[in-house]
Formats: sequence, C-alpha cells, structure tokens
Amino acid sequence: MRILFTIISVILGILALAMTILPFGAIAFIPIILSLIFGLLAFKLTKQEAKNVNLIKIVFLVVIVALSITIYRTFIEENTIDNNIESVEKEKKSEEEAIEELEGIEIEN
Amino acid sequence: MKPTILTLIFLISSFSFSQNNTIAAGEKLTFTASYKMSGLLTDLAQVTMETSEVKTSTSTLFRLKCKARTYSKWDSFFKIDDLYESYVSPTTLKPYLYKREINEGNYYKFVKYNFNHKSKSVNSLLRQKSRNFESGFWDREFTKTISTNTRDIVTTIYHIRNLDINKATNGSSDTFTILFDNEETNINITLLGTETISTNIGKKECYKLAISLSNSDILKGTNSNLLWLTADANKIPVYAKFKAAIGSGELRIQSATGLKH
Repeated sequence: MRILFTIISVILGILALAMTILPFGAIAFIPIILSLIFGLLAFKLTKQEAKNVNLIKIVFLVVIVALSITIYRTFIEENTIDNNIESVEKEKKSEEEAIEELEGIEIEN
Repeated sequence: MKPTILTLIFLISSFSFSQNNTIAAGEKLTFTASYKMSGLLTDLAQVTMETSEVKTSTSTLFRLKCKARTYSKWDSFFKIDDLYESYVSPTTLKPYLYKREINEGNYYKFVKYNFNHKSKSVNSLLRQKSRNFESGFWDREFTKTISTNTRDIVTTIYHIRNLDINKATNGSSDTFTILFDNEETNINITLLGTETISTNIGKKECYKLAISLSNSDILKGTNSNLLWLTADANKIPVYAKFKAAIGSGELRIQSATGLKH
C-alpha cells in the first residue's frame, strides 16, 4: 500500500506540474490536492515502516511549487488580450469595406 | 385579461422593427467567457460588444461589433479570434450588412449577408479555406428569401435589449428568426422573472430570460441557457449561462461604458 500511494502521489505530482505549466487554470488544483492527499498517506505509512521519505518530500516540494503557481495564475494574474496591430488593422479594413458596400443603400428610418 | 394584453404588447413590439430606445453609439460592453472543464470554470476568452456610428455619403448607420478573443495564455495552444459585425439602422436596428469572420485554431470561415428588405432577400457569401483554389479560399454565393423579421445573430441580441420587457408578464415568450449559416433558425425567449444578482458592475436587478432554439440541437437542456438583462432602460446583458453540445460555460460582464441611460 505504501508503494502504491507513493507511485500515485508521484504520478499526480508530475501531472500537477504539467497542468500548471500548461494553461489549464483552476483544473490543476485537482491533481495538486490528490497528490498531496496520497503523499500524506504515503508519508505516514513510510514513517510507520521506518523507511526513507526523501522521494515523498521531493513530491511535496514539486506540488507546493505547482500549487503556488496555480494560485497566482488563478487568483492574482490578470487575464490579458494580445491586441496586435494586425488585428486592429483587420477590423479597420473590414469597416472600410463595409462602408464601400453600404454606399448608396437607402436606409429606412 | 390583463396578462393577455401585456403579452400581446410584448409580441407586437418584438415582431416589428421598433424604435431604438436602448442602444447608443460608443457603447462598449466587455465580458469574460468561461468554459466548464472537469466541473471547474476556466476563463477562456474576452468577449466585447461595441457600437459605433459609420457614415456613408448618404446615410448614417450603427456598427454593432462583437469580438471574441482567447486570453494570451491560451493563444499558443488554441487561439480564437472571431469578429462579428452588423451594420444597422440607428433608429430601427434593421440590419443591412452582416459579416462574421471566424478564426479558431486552423479553422477559418467568413460569412457575409447583404440584406435587401424590399425584396425580402439576402445575398450571402460563404468563404472557407481550400487548397483546391489558387487564392486559397473557396467562395460560394447564395441568394436566400427571408421573412420580414429575419435578422442576423448580432442584431437579434441588440433587438432583444430594445424590447419593452417591463411590459411582459412572467412566463411570456417570443420567437425570433435568425439567419445563421444560411439557415433560418427560430430562437425562443421566455421571461422567467426578475432576479437580483451581483456582477462586476454592481448588484443589479435583472430580467431572467431562458433561450432555446426550435429547429436546432446546438443548445441543450430545458432552461439551461439563460440570460440576465438589467431591469433598467439600458438592459445590459450582465450574465449568461449556456449548455451546448460541446460543453457548458458562462459569460460574465467585466465593464460597461458609453451607455445611453
């Protein structure tokens, strides 16, 4: 059971880190929390059996880093839009073309 | 008797191209679009709805512009850059030209409708990317007969805002015809009641409307697609919840500027 919990915690920890790096947003909290739960269980069992807990400590470290980044991205970082010149030009061109097309049309008021 | 008369007023006002008392040029509404993934809402894109005045040599029109852009953090994975425009009469909100340009990942589509209200027809252009053509685009043109009250999707949103919802009774509903992808689709709007909700622009008393499509399975569920419009003269869409075939999500207002009232 100790080994199983450790493996699950490691896998979820890697998944948490990957989801934190990729823009998954709040979804990254799921593997982070699960990894912490399984990590704590594995830590308790490993301590009881007086085995080395270094691997679990590394998992905790990784998960805490992932948790900090996810909290920052979800609650502190502002959502921004890349307003590039190309996009602005496209909208302007679209308006100019529309005005050309609407030229001469009788508008009912 | 009274509810019947009120429902009738609501229906009459919506069936005709009534006078615009709600929308002003220079209005800008900004929303955050969120998508539900694994039960959690993730902010995906910014949606803006802007109005401006455009002038030809003979007339003045309103340009109703709706934009959907993914937040920068998503752009390297899946970029959405959609632009919807409708050129309408400033007094009646009757559409004359509609353009829709979709850029979603590698998918591109351009649709244009030229409305001819006298002949009750629409000349449409459908443009898609294709390697079979030297230009890289496959253009198709159609002429379609439409009913008197057929509008494009952008104009319909603004038209709903322009209705005298205050005169309607709870439970009353109305149907609007939308031309989308060259097909006329009926959209049903039901007034469920009023509700006070907290938004980024303050606590607002709102009209709660349920939206459903008659001859389409894009939207799912009964009363799962909801729209909250402020119960004031501006009727700002402050919150929307949708459940579609591809998933569910919501639209929350971030800011509203340049309002008429």
